[in-house]
Amino acid sequence: MLGSAVKSLGWKILRAITLPIAVCVFSFLLISHSPIDPIQAYVAADSMLVGPEQRERIAEYWGLHKPPLERLVNWGSAVLQGDLGTSMIFRRPVVDVIKERFLASIALMGAAWVLSGLFGFILGVIAGMNQGSWLDRLIKWYCYTLASTPSFWLGLIMLNVFAVWLAWFPVGLGVPAGVLQEEVTFYDRLRHLVLPAITLSILGVANVALHTRQKLIEVMASDYVLFAKARGERGFLLFWRHGLRNIALPAVTLQFASFSELFGGAVLAERVFSYPGLGQAIVEAALRGDVPLLLGIVIVSALFVFTGNLIADIICRVVDPRIREGEAV
Amino acid sequence: MQKKLTVVAIIMTLVLVVAAGCGRPENKTAGQTLKNELVLAIAGEPQAGFDPTTGWGRYGSPLFQSTLLKRDADLNIINDLATGYEVSPDGLVWAVSLRADVRFSDGKPLTAHDVAYTFNTAAQSGAVIDLTNMKEVLAVNEHTVKFTLESPQSTFVNSLIATGIVPKHAHGKGYAENPIGSGPFKFVQWDKGQQLIVEANPEYHGARPYFERITFLFLNEDAAFAAARAGKADVVAIPPAFSRQEVAGMRLISLQSVDNRGIMFPFVKAGNKTADGRPLGNDVTADLAIRKAINTAIDRQALVDGVLEGHGTPAYTVSDGLPWWNPDTVIKDADLNKARQILAEGDWQDSNGDGILEKGDLKAQFSLLYPAADQTRQSLAIVVADMVRPLGIAISVEGKSWDEIKTMMHANAVLFGWGSHNPLEMYNLYSSKTRGVGWFNTGFYSNAVVDEHLERALATPNEKEALAYWRKAQWDGQTGLSARGDAPWAWLVNLNHLYLVRENLDIGRQKIQPHGHGWPITANIAEWRWQN
Repeated sequence: MLGSAVKSLGWKILRAITLPIAVCVFSFLLISHSPIDPIQAYVAADSMLVGPEQRERIAEYWGLHKPPLERLVNWGSAVLQGDLGTSMIFRRPVVDVIKERFLASIALMGAAWVLSGLFGFILGVIAGMNQGSWLDRLIKWYCYTLASTPSFWLGLIMLNVFAVWLAWFPVGLGVPAGVLQEEVTFYDRLRHLVLPAITLSILGVANVALHTRQKLIEVMASDYVLFAKARGERGFLLFWRHGLRNIALPAVTLQFASFSELFGGAVLAERVFSYPGLGQAIVEAALRGDVPLLLGIVIVSALFVFTGNLIADIICRVVDPRIREGEAV
Repeated sequence: MQKKLTVVAIIMTLVLVVAAGCGRPENKTAGQTLKNELVLAIAGEPQAGFDPTTGWGRYGSPLFQSTLLKRDADLNIINDLATGYEVSPDGLVWAVSLRADVRFSDGKPLTAHDVAYTFNTAAQSGAVIDLTNMKEVLAVNEHTVKFTLESPQSTFVNSLIATGIVPKHAHGKGYAENPIGSGPFKFVQWDKGQQLIVEANPEYHGARPYFERITFLFLNEDAAFAAARAGKADVVAIPPAFSRQEVAGMRLISLQSVDNRGIMFPFVKAGNKTADGRPLGNDVTADLAIRKAINTAIDRQALVDGVLEGHGTPAYTVSDGLPWWNPDTVIKDADLNKARQILAEGDWQDSNGDGILEKGDLKAQFSLLYPAADQTRQSLAIVVADMVRPLGIAISVEGKSWDEIKTMMHANAVLFGWGSHNPLEMYNLYSSKTRGVGWFNTGFYSNAVVDEHLERALATPNEKEALAYWRKAQWDGQTGLSARGDAPWAWLVNLNHLYLVRENLDIGRQKIQPHGHGWPITANIAEWRWQN
């Protein structure tokens, strides 16, 4: 049993190493074949005033004149030594940019993740326990509506309703406008986090709720629940004794595996609310051909999603004794 | 749908109230009283920070730094840090004398060494500042700087106008995030990706700004517009699509610009290839009668009214309204009869009655390319094609990616957009020397007389004298690069730049805006004030 755990852990580590490499090579291939000319993108508005000689100098300064393979190898060997390079558009070390942006994103994604997990699970349970009732139909309808709503559109609606019309929340950013850093309170930060976090959590809510509902309905149709009902158990007690454990696992797995969707959604939510996270940075990097920054974020996001899946696996092992014992479920 | 949204809104409201408690009313609403602060949401964030040696502040005000020279509201060149400059007769040596009383915001004096350091650093930064023609820059003494050029270049003066001076003693790693300079404002705080806060600089050598503190919000278009409607910002840049919606307490300002759009015609006949092996030339657009007829037939005002909803002006050259513009280039357009006459004189006839003109075996048809993602350019292209169709000229309009356009732009007409406060742009677009160089003279336009004017404009040491040559290059009475001469382009419109401005805020007299929406409006930000 220990042997199998070690073996599976070994595989996981191997994958944790090979995955970012593969993703980086693939991303690099994509961007070096993309129609974006990094020098043109860099010069942008000044393109009529920057002559061919200066373009040469820019290319030389950033090493853009070398063949793609050489650039990739140079970049790769620098990364192995812990140097992610310098971002072309930010003119700062990629590590610094990512660190700063990731902290902002983590708060947003974390809040959204907890919200979606919690509300999704509760809604799913309520719907599942009351299958076929008006409450179930309402929740189902709510989830389908949300799941089919593009999150940037929803973000715009939220922005107009809660920031412009009701003026409850700020229109964007992560801190209040014109307020010095030392005067920004935790409450200010929280208020700025609410709209983007809710926008981001909404897709997750639908996903978790619908899966939880489905699983709970299956559990409710099982023989042991029938038996429990026959003994007179009903309502919350029935759910607590026989439902929760059986549906917790898929919900937890799903929630951790949703890291990738979370990351993708964050890109859109941050765009709408001008929230200064990684999502904004990756859009800029891709549009303007900033290869070191793009690849840096790609590595971080790949590891982030991988970690989510890894945690899901570990939790499954811990929570479910059947998996721990190496049984098939 | 309405009902569903309401239900969603109700549920979301419940969730929100639980999540955040009741929102407290916002008490920092902007602009209700005459406060000495402003909040602007006008521009994108300069991600590389506020270092002029890597490209900050080349449009509008560098805020934290000041420049040797600057342009006034009429685009005349006036002194800022400089007290004057002299150019040697051969145009190679520029000596600039400096004011002696200027201090950086840290209290240290600004000297010629700082200027030399700034330009040397900028030349080596691998950024958007093209100083390849600058051989060296030296501080002769504390208050005189000497620039030596590789070849005479009257447009070098624009480098002195656009480059903010950084302090040698305080410039280095981290400067871009915490700039020190001699500009009207001093740096307070930059929340990356969000906002920039600046305060009036007490050491500033010019008139002290009216506003003590200004906050620049870095919001996207939708959020910026929402900020305007929520009363959270005093000046907001908006795209034309938002211009029809009234916003309480704000007025719409539509600023004239040289942010222009025009059609570039391949000037030479087909058959050859460029140095990169791309197809070159187009037999139809190489014909002068075709180019002139299109220029004459287009109704530019109708384009402004129809496509730009009135927020623009007709364009006749790449530099309408700028000091080096020649007003004689304005032609009478929307004149189909004149256009027909031009075509007839050019031997274009519809001999087979299919509605398309011919000249020998050649049919009057060609492709007009535009970047597919740009709706304004798409509309312009389609409307122009419709306008010239009655003449018997068939333009097929095709949306392409910039990458595709790059390979096709020497053999097809392209809808480009330019517009700069630097006449070097005109040189790069029309000189024989820049044929096929990057995006410069993509149509391979060439005229020996125009070349002579352009070269003289560049080689003249004096910027004022150069103006005369720039104007002659456009139209000297005989020939020129405008529609009256060779008509290698059909310029269509200049886009206005739109801003929502708080009703009682006076943003001064704005110059004609260059290509680029946002920062240019800040050029006179030190003069902004509340109206009484």
